[in-house]
Amino acid sequence: MKSKFSPYVPRPATLVAKKELNEFVTLFEFAQDSGKPLAHRPGQFIQVSVYGVGEAPFSVSSPPRTDHHHFEIAVRKIGSVTNALHALEVGNKIGIRGPYGSYFPMQKFVGQDFLFVAGGLGYIPIRSVLHYMLRHRDEFGRIILLVGTRNPGERIFTDQLAEISKRNDLEVFETVDVADDTWKGNVGVITTLFPKISINPETTSVATIGPPIMYRFVIQECSKLGIPQDRIYVSLERHMKCGLGKCGHCQINGINCCLDGPVFCYTEIAGLGEAL
Amino acid sequence: MIAYTIYLPQVKGLLKKWSMDLQVFVPTMVDDGFYEFKSWSDDIEISWDYDLCYTSLKKFVLPAQEDLISFDMKKYSAGAVIEAPKQLLFGVHPYDIKAMNQLDQLMDTDSVDVNYRARRDNTVVFGLERVHVADTAFWSGVEADRVDHGYDLYWTRISPGAFFVQVGSARGEEMLTMDGPVEKASVAQKEAARRSHLKVMAKAQKNTLNFDWSKTPDLVNKFFNNRTFWREKAKTCLSCGSCNLVCPTCYCFDIKEEADDLLQNGRRYRQWDGCMLSGFAEIAGGHNFRSSPWERYRHRYMRKGKYIFDKLGELGCVGCGRCVRACTARIANPRKIYNEIWEAIKNEV
Repeated sequence: MKSKFSPYVPRPATLVAKKELNEFVTLFEFAQDSGKPLAHRPGQFIQVSVYGVGEAPFSVSSPPRTDHHHFEIAVRKIGSVTNALHALEVGNKIGIRGPYGSYFPMQKFVGQDFLFVAGGLGYIPIRSVLHYMLRHRDEFGRIILLVGTRNPGERIFTDQLAEISKRNDLEVFETVDVADDTWKGNVGVITTLFPKISINPETTSVATIGPPIMYRFVIQECSKLGIPQDRIYVSLERHMKCGLGKCGHCQINGINCCLDGPVFCYTEIAGLGEAL
Repeated sequence: MIAYTIYLPQVKGLLKKWSMDLQVFVPTMVDDGFYEFKSWSDDIEISWDYDLCYTSLKKFVLPAQEDLISFDMKKYSAGAVIEAPKQLLFGVHPYDIKAMNQLDQLMDTDSVDVNYRARRDNTVVFGLERVHVADTAFWSGVEADRVDHGYDLYWTRISPGAFFVQVGSARGEEMLTMDGPVEKASVAQKEAARRSHLKVMAKAQKNTLNFDWSKTPDLVNKFFNNRTFWREKAKTCLSCGSCNLVCPTCYCFDIKEEADDLLQNGRRYRQWDGCMLSGFAEIAGGHNFRSSPWERYRHRYMRKGKYIFDKLGELGCVGCGRCVRACTARIANPRKIYNEIWEAIKNEV
């Protein structure tokens, strides 16, 4: 029986551009076939379908737009759906559901200084927040961006980073865990960048996204700087299968990462043994 | 309360009538001491006094595998698939009704699960008072000994040939009277039903929680970080997920799909999954947020003992005792686990 409505039915979107960010990661620009904006907020995720292969959750990497029906996701080639995405050609279609989940409370950050701490692929969702702020630059105070990558070969959005690093209203610091001959910058894990920055803990909020191992160390550094816990925001990765709070896969203790997250204020998860 | 008295010979006639409109499932013995709900036919022997069905009744409202969408890979279009056969579950025990009531709430919260809702709306539930208590059951300790909603009719056998039938919904009453008028129950018959309930309740006191069930969330929460305890309890866990599969309140699922041979059309379906299976909390790249069996074991008891309580105000365990029977390593036993925690820290709560 065909029915009118089910939240499991994806909407079609068409690939309009594809750009390799490194050997494994590609940026995909899609346009919703409906012609309507995605209407996501920074930090939210969507479920992407490649019919016949499967469906997987991805953070939206582009900032929200009200004037345009295009959006971007950046994807690492690692499983069946991500490999299928990499095989797409411009003009091919996917299915999408969402946007789902919590988002960064941008209004709360107005007038505040902001510190981004992005580890590895964590830069992908951070980018949605960062570029939203850059578009509304005069509404925010200082913006400091810390980016850490395992090695120079795995850096992503290098052109864009080089471009925004030239801005005088943005402070960018980058590091790699392990350097090679091409790398002239800082070497060490992302926390080695903290001694290089000075912030006013009274006016600074933080967004940090990275591999699971990273969070507790970054939060510790933020605490050392005197940033209160209720101004530290994280986005946590789990494998949301349904995105609707039913399937149980993304559960962190008693909460659903797909509904209550992926974006959390640190105080919301501080007591949860399975969160970080 | 509206109630009728139905005599055994009437039941067969009604079953015939009902089965013309919907598929009727009844409890029957499938092996020595093992019961299951099976499709009713004239020659099936209904086990009115069954103690417990091996698998839970969730399969009728949340099938082990269920299509969600069908898709066209060429046109890149998709449509909802919502199947909801009309069915009657005749003979459901109160703990299983409670479990279904809980699923109703969980599947309707935040966003309505349209597939579940459609099936549930087309499912008629006739409750049945228990006669025997499964040796692994402890529903009397978790407030699953009786239910005040979630059934269309509630049947109590008050003599070898008669049932006291309490009406739970207009749909139920209509079905009861569709073969002609039936006898209104007398006060004496109502009293007989009450005595029948008290009789089984007395039997159920053998296995129960040693404390008031409402303390469970606090207890397990205080024990969350007692890794030694959880490690010890789960040390022989095979991560087989049997406890998940038979549990009437476990509803986690995976979403999968398959395409036809020509790669033109396909179906996406959900399939029961289990938080005890090793890959359940794994993400891309292989990081597993509950990589050890003891973490998954703890999660299950936390979920039944606290997380569901935080959402609904009742335990996520209805004390049916199915997991105790199904566990291949003989370590699943919510009653024992919760009682042990209680004994360990009862002075602190």
